[in-house]
Formats: sequence, structure tokens, C-alpha cells
Amino acid sequence: MSDAAIILDSLEKWFPPALRGWRAFLQPFAAPTSAALRGISLQVKQGEAVALLGVNGAGKTTLLRILATLLLPTSGSASLAGHDTVRESAVVRRQIGYHAGSDLGFYARLTGRQNLHFFGRLNHLSKGFCADRIDELGDRLGLQNNLDRQVRTLSSGIIQRLSLLRALLHHPKILLLDEPTRSLDALAAADFRRFLKAEVLARQGTSLLFASHTLQEIEFLADRVAVLDEGKLLAFDSPAALRGATPSASLELAFAKLTGRRAYSEEPSHL
Amino acid sequence: MTRLLRDLWAFFERDLRIASTYRSPFVLEVIEALFGAATFYYVARFVDSPALREALPRGKTYFAYSLVGLVFFDYLHAAMNTFDQSLQEARDAGTLEPLLVTQVSLPVILIGSAFYPFVATTLRVAVYLGWAAAFFDFPLRGANWFGALAVLLATLLAFCGLGVLSAAYLLLFKRGNPAKWFILGVSSIVGGMLFPVEVLPRWLQVIGWLNPVTYALDAMRAVLLDGASLAAVSRPLLILLAFTGVLLPFSVFVFSWVLRRTKVTGTLTHS
Repeated sequence: MSDAAIILDSLEKWFPPALRGWRAFLQPFAAPTSAALRGISLQVKQGEAVALLGVNGAGKTTLLRILATLLLPTSGSASLAGHDTVRESAVVRRQIGYHAGSDLGFYARLTGRQNLHFFGRLNHLSKGFCADRIDELGDRLGLQNNLDRQVRTLSSGIIQRLSLLRALLHHPKILLLDEPTRSLDALAAADFRRFLKAEVLARQGTSLLFASHTLQEIEFLADRVAVLDEGKLLAFDSPAALRGATPSASLELAFAKLTGRRAYSEEPSHL
Repeated sequence: MTRLLRDLWAFFERDLRIASTYRSPFVLEVIEALFGAATFYYVARFVDSPALREALPRGKTYFAYSLVGLVFFDYLHAAMNTFDQSLQEARDAGTLEPLLVTQVSLPVILIGSAFYPFVATTLRVAVYLGWAAAFFDFPLRGANWFGALAVLLATLLAFCGLGVLSAAYLLLFKRGNPAKWFILGVSSIVGGMLFPVEVLPRWLQVIGWLNPVTYALDAMRAVLLDGASLAAVSRPLLILLAFTGVLLPFSVFVFSWVLRRTKVTGTLTHS
């Protein structure tokens, strides 16, 4: 029995090309020609936090969506807590909390609390448990004053916090977060990271796989970093080991060297 | 089973809460039903003639005949529109993705989302018939209500297959099913909504007999206006069940294939 929370084995994902006009009718039947993930193999241990680092289009979101059972891999396999994402998708969904990184995803005319109760019930949580958990997490995420307002009146940062609360609501074993702090202000983002590290990872032993462009966030949260570029896994190690192997003074420089891209900190200061 | 019912109830409660945030349209709809019933009553009085009465089934006024046809045609509208509309709304609002990572399957999400519209249609039909009975001599006293419920269930099951096919089309091609409007248009002519199928040319009658709407309206008129027993409407009921037996499994098969396909192409949550 493996102690891995997530196992990816030669995972590949190819998409058909985007077609326009009348050809769009052929798109569902078109052969996949565009690679999003190429032979990704890695393991995330139980209780470990792993960051997905890559430029836009590197395959981070595709990988998270396969693990969330929203996409089928073209070949290879992915399993969470020992369950295959294709053959046992319902069991996999029971293990995960997923945050898609968007400010959407709620019923605008319902309050935050009503929305959370609805999604809690679809995760088969009892009313009482759900209510307590919403209060507890709402308090922790600074949402208490906003939970009873209609979602259409909330700012994008507050909606993003609601989405994070929803991902945590049912005590998932594995958290899949796509840019968890994208719309949060600096203080809220820092507070959320501290909460994630101290409560969710350290105390509850939850495993975390998250995509982020914020290197400070990755350094703070991640035990290991998976560097993706054009669908390929370039490196998978701790931030310190990545800095040492490249060798680089910062994770930004290490990332730039690994992907063959220019780091902003290398650019002339007058720019 | 209990869990499934709880899941479905969660969707009903969600839609009821959303609908309750728009209070005035509900009141206006009740008033509009009165105007609708009144319009039909006076049109029916105006066109009433010995020739018309001869064309109608024995003992029925044109008002009663056409009102039942009109209001129950609403169920076809609801069945054809509900599934794809709920899918479209969930995509546009970004709620489809969070729904799909909960522990309920997409078929349950679709059925759950259809629950409220069907109940709302039933209420609208009840309001129409109530106004008609209260003010315009609509003959409700002898109605066989149990028979009406049985016919209604058989009708909904027969129509749902068409609605699920429409949702599959939307899921695959990202746009509304043009065949839906064709089916609704043809059904309103050949299905016996405002006049008996027998007054149509022979070739149109044949299309009418191939359409579940024809049998649904026949049976509903018989149980509501004549108080016919279930045995008396067993033929249209069995035909409706036969439509269900063919359409529902076929539509579920098509929908499952489409769902899998969109997880391959990555277009499941695309608008």
C-alpha cells in the first residue's frame, strides 16, 4: 500500500484543435493534436504540499482538472488516495476539495451561506455539521460579515474566499487549488497561507496540490515544486534543492534557468 | 434512494430560494393566468358554432378543449427547455464546475434542476384551471384527479427523453438544439393543442400519431373533462410509456456518450 496521496503515471493530455464557423460542429469528433501534458509522472505524499509552477499554458490547470475528474486523460493514469480518476471518479470526488481559481461559481441571488449549504448538501454533509463548519471557517477566513449577503453584492476577493471555504467545507483529504490567492488582497492572502499551513496541512494532515504564480506563496507553502513547461515536467524537488541544483539565488532565477526563460530580476533595472 | 431524494430536494430548495428573490413576477404570473384564461374564454365564445362542436369530441366546449391543450402543452415546453437551460445557466454562471466536483453525478444535477421548473409548470397549470373553473365555467367537478396525475407522470417521462437529448446537443455543440424548436412547432400543429388531429390532412394526422403530445393531450382531456377512468385511457397511457421506453434509455445513452466526449475534448464547462 503506497503512502502517496496522488500518483501520476505517464499522464498525457491532448486536445483537439479549436475550430471555427461550421467546422465547430466537427470539433467534438476531431482528433487531438495539441499537447497539454506530456508523460507526467510524480507522487505527492500524504500530508505533503506540492506546488505546480509554470508559465501560462504550461499545463497546471489541465493537470488539476484531470485530478478533479473534470477531464479524462488521453493516456497514462492518475489516482488519488489509491482511486483511479477515470474508473472511480465518484470515490475520487469524495476525497478532494477543489478550487478552480475563478471568481465565478456561485448563485448570485443566493447569500454566501445559502450557497455553501447547497454545495455542502451535495457533498452529503448534515445540516448541523454544515452550519457549524461554515461558521468556523467563515470566522477563520474573515467572512462572517459577508456570509448573509447575496453573492452578487460581494467583491471578487470575498467570492474567492467563499470558494476556498467551499473547497474546505467537507474536510477533504486532498486539496486541489488553482491560484488560491489570485484575487485576495495582500493581507488576506498572507492570512490564508498561514491558515492553510498551520491548520489544514500541519494539524489535519491534508495533502495539497496547488498552482500558483506567486513565488513567495510557493516558498512559504510547498514542500516540493513541480516545474512544468509546455506540458512537460522539468523538475520536481524542494524549493531549496531547485535553487541549489540550478544554482540560483532565488526560486525565480531557478525557474527561469529550468525553463530557459529570462527572469524579471535579471532584466536591466531601468526597464 | 433517500440520498437521491435528498439530493433532488437540495436542487428544488436552491431554485425555490432563487425564485423567491423575485417576488413580483410570481404575483404577475398569477394575474397573467387570469387574463390568459379570460382571453381563451371569449375567443372560444366568439368562434363557437354547431360546426365546431361537431368537430370536437362529444360534449366538450371549445374553451375547455383548447385550454387543456394550451396549458398542458406547457409541459412539453418545460421538458424540452429545462434540461438544456439549466446546463446553459450553470455554464454561464460558472456553477457547473463546482457542481461536477460534488458527490452527485451530472444526471442527478440535470434531474434535480428540472424538479423546480416542473413544479412551477404544475402550479401555473393549476392557477389557469383554477381561474377558468372559478369564473368561466370550466368543468372541473367530474375530473379524475388520480388519473390526471398518472397521465401527467407518463407525459413527463415521455417528454424528458426529448429534453435530455436537447441537453446532450447543447453539451456537445455549445449551442441550442435547433430541432427542439422544430419539434415544438410541429407538435403545436399536429399534437391536437387547439384543434382535434382529425381536422388535419391525412399526412399531417400520421405525423400527429407519431407524436407523444397527441396521446398526452388526448388522455389528459379524457381524465380532466370526462372524468375517464385509468382503464379508459390505458391505450394513450401505454403508448406514452412505450415512447418513454424508447426515448429515455436512448437519451441517457447519448447523454453519457456526450459527457464522456466533452471530458475528452475539454469542453465540458465551456460556453
